[in-house]
Amino acid sequence: MTGTPETPALPMPAPTPLGPAIEARDIVKRFGAVQALGNGRLTVGRGEIHALLGANGCGKSTLSKIIAGTHAATAGSLLIEGRPVRFATPREAEAAGIALFYQELSLIPPLSVAANIFLGREPRTRAGFIDRTRLRAETEALIALFGDTAGPGLTPDALVADLTPGQRQIVEILKVLSKSPRIVIMDEATAALDARQVAVFFDILRARRAAGVSTVFISHRLDEVFALCDRVTVMRNGETVADLCIADTDQDSVVRLMIGDVRKAGRRTRADRPAAAPLLQADRVGGGRLRDITLAVAPGEILGLGGLQGQGQSALLRGLFGADPLTAGRLRLDGQPVRIRAPADAVARGIAYVSGDRVADAVLAGRSIFENLAAAVLVRERRWRVGAGTLAPRLAGVAASLKTKYAGLDDAIGTLSGGNQQKVFIARWLATGPRLLLLDDPTKGIDLGAKADLFALIRQLADSGVAIILYSSEEAELLDQSDRILVFNGGAVVTELSGPTLDSFHLTRAAYGDAA
Amino acid sequence: MTAPSLSPSGLSTGSRLATLAASPLALALMAIIVLLGLGEMLSPGFARGDQIIRLLTVAALLGIAAAGQNLVILAGGEGIDLSIGAQISFGAIIAGNVMNGSDAAIAHAILAACGATFLVGLVNGLGVTLVRLPPLVMTLGMMAIIQGGLVVFSQGIPSGNAAPALMGFINQPALLGLPGILLAWAVLIVLMGLLLRRTALGFAIYAVGANARAARLVGLPVRAVRTLVYGLSGALAGLTGVFVIGYTGNSFISVGDQYMLPTIIAVVIGGTSLAGGTGGYVGTVAGAIALVLLQSVLTTLHLDFWGRQLIFGGTLLLLLALYGRQTGPRV
Repeated sequence: MTGTPETPALPMPAPTPLGPAIEARDIVKRFGAVQALGNGRLTVGRGEIHALLGANGCGKSTLSKIIAGTHAATAGSLLIEGRPVRFATPREAEAAGIALFYQELSLIPPLSVAANIFLGREPRTRAGFIDRTRLRAETEALIALFGDTAGPGLTPDALVADLTPGQRQIVEILKVLSKSPRIVIMDEATAALDARQVAVFFDILRARRAAGVSTVFISHRLDEVFALCDRVTVMRNGETVADLCIADTDQDSVVRLMIGDVRKAGRRTRADRPAAAPLLQADRVGGGRLRDITLAVAPGEILGLGGLQGQGQSALLRGLFGADPLTAGRLRLDGQPVRIRAPADAVARGIAYVSGDRVADAVLAGRSIFENLAAAVLVRERRWRVGAGTLAPRLAGVAASLKTKYAGLDDAIGTLSGGNQQKVFIARWLATGPRLLLLDDPTKGIDLGAKADLFALIRQLADSGVAIILYSSEEAELLDQSDRILVFNGGAVVTELSGPTLDSFHLTRAAYGDAA
Repeated sequence: MTAPSLSPSGLSTGSRLATLAASPLALALMAIIVLLGLGEMLSPGFARGDQIIRLLTVAALLGIAAAGQNLVILAGGEGIDLSIGAQISFGAIIAGNVMNGSDAAIAHAILAACGATFLVGLVNGLGVTLVRLPPLVMTLGMMAIIQGGLVVFSQGIPSGNAAPALMGFINQPALLGLPGILLAWAVLIVLMGLLLRRTALGFAIYAVGANARAARLVGLPVRAVRTLVYGLSGALAGLTGVFVIGYTGNSFISVGDQYMLPTIIAVVIGGTSLAGGTGGYVGTVAGAIALVLLQSVLTTLHLDFWGRQLIFGGTLLLLLALYGRQTGPRV
């Protein structure tokens, strides 16, 4: 079984001189009741590197998956090299010369590099066995494309499990290239690569362009887009809003197209900003993928953590709380050096952490609302007896301040809605009287009413002198609540937004890699 | 608002089967009544007062050992203690040697037996929490080590025997016609209730069993809690060993082996989830009594040890299959 252009598994349309490489018109895609794509349009010329841009959830991944045959469009038409197509499976798209780089890596860690690259397409001997000599030689040739930037250990026989994230990404790229596609879709293919690897990768794409290969390039790094691409298509809320020549535009214009009308309403306003001494200071802290993060947060302040998802915001909050301890740098609390090696250390110092991942991080499944509420207080106050007689009314009072709806404290936590459960987990910490509240995407998956209640309370807490560090995957929430925003990219803080730069435009521009 | 109560909150999920299974305590109590009636039918006099006290004495031995199993299972992480049987033998042999028939040495015997088994239990706990061995493997290995060790050191013939006062405590009426061991069991039931419902440690055991990650994120010492429950399980097995030698007069190498599987069954009958985090000791007490009754009825039917073993194993699997059907959380 093979899908290479030399020996197609399915009859391949002969390339015609007419028509662009890809022409997607009025593509609609619904997942159940949710419309992911309302009007997706994309035209990619032959031998063109075409950027596809848009904020998280704008539909660009959905559109590329439709082109690659992973999803079927609900409506609309797709022409590949001038011929209308309707791919039922990725194999059919592959047979038509289309290859997709998967954002979620599709490698199998316990297998070798060579086995991964040629999985299901291994060169065969006459007898039908896998031709290991050719397999190794062809893999060598592919790895050689990256030259010395591939780093030590990237050999045909190395196990993918033993590679660095950057090397795994190279293997995934080589897997795409090994199919010799005429159309390639690179969805976030540079995310884990270093600068030298990116430069080599771009040279490879340019060489393929010279050979007539068309590339759809999806990246969160605008400077890459402007360095590499010929044209750009911008999407917003499931619709294509612009198709421009890179030479005719600039980064700021593209950012404006991505975010649409900049919203201003609902901003937190503070009459007076007390110039309080910082409560927590982090000096060049790191660990895991976090690098050299320096920050300070004062009592009464709401410090926002912004940027694209997964750039280290949660890792920092978990690090400050000791859940995934920081390994580098220094922390100071009230100016005094502290070491936080486990959540217990943080709790003892009045630090609280609310995770957005309720099921994994917070729910004591099968236990009562009372037990779920009491968990942190019992630890913080070093109680030996529970003392439910006095504790229950106290916890009920805290839960009520958040407008938590429940029938009785003895009811199981599972009887509550997601929003009410999250209120319980916030109340759990409020009862400990925290001085620093770490909020890790606290409103994930809860309804609007509950969100409004939560943020009203968070502001109230800040006004009463609690220091708050907030990460939210919803940009509007972050902008509305934060006094300042640190923008994250690749595990580091790239810029700080405050005052006049605290708006959607600057946040998006900074998140997409242009440190303004 | 009221304090958390012992009552399971009614989360019935429709079907009668699920409703029945959702209240294992009621199921166990029903089983007790049915078994008593059945026993009386098969062998008149089965349900007589002195007979019931004799049955409860046997149930107390199982129930005290099952308290430890209960704590280990509640704390989750696939927690289970397969070394309980061997630790009962260990405790019995230590107690027999320390007492050697002397009433004056009973307190020393209890301390020595419980102390030694507590330490063995802590080793189980450290193997599970620090070395990260699966509890099944850790405690199974410990069971083999203890059994082998007892044979090697005693050369197969354990010395020592019970003090007369201890035998009287188990077998003679002490108060209101009840032997001392039943009073001791009653005290343990109260202590377990206080531990699990009134102390922060009890809450921590439930929290760790319900969601270890969440427990860690509120600052609970998850490993310490899990290590401790194995220690307590060891100490309770040691105590059971002391009572067992008081019940039989002297001990033999494998005197405790027959308790291992029944402790698990009693806990499961009582409604404690093998996944941890839900259940309690009152159910386990009912489970222990039901199980001893079942054993007694089967003996009346002249079923030998292996026949009873067959029924026990089947009962355990049937109950797990039955309880596994319910989807909602159990409180």
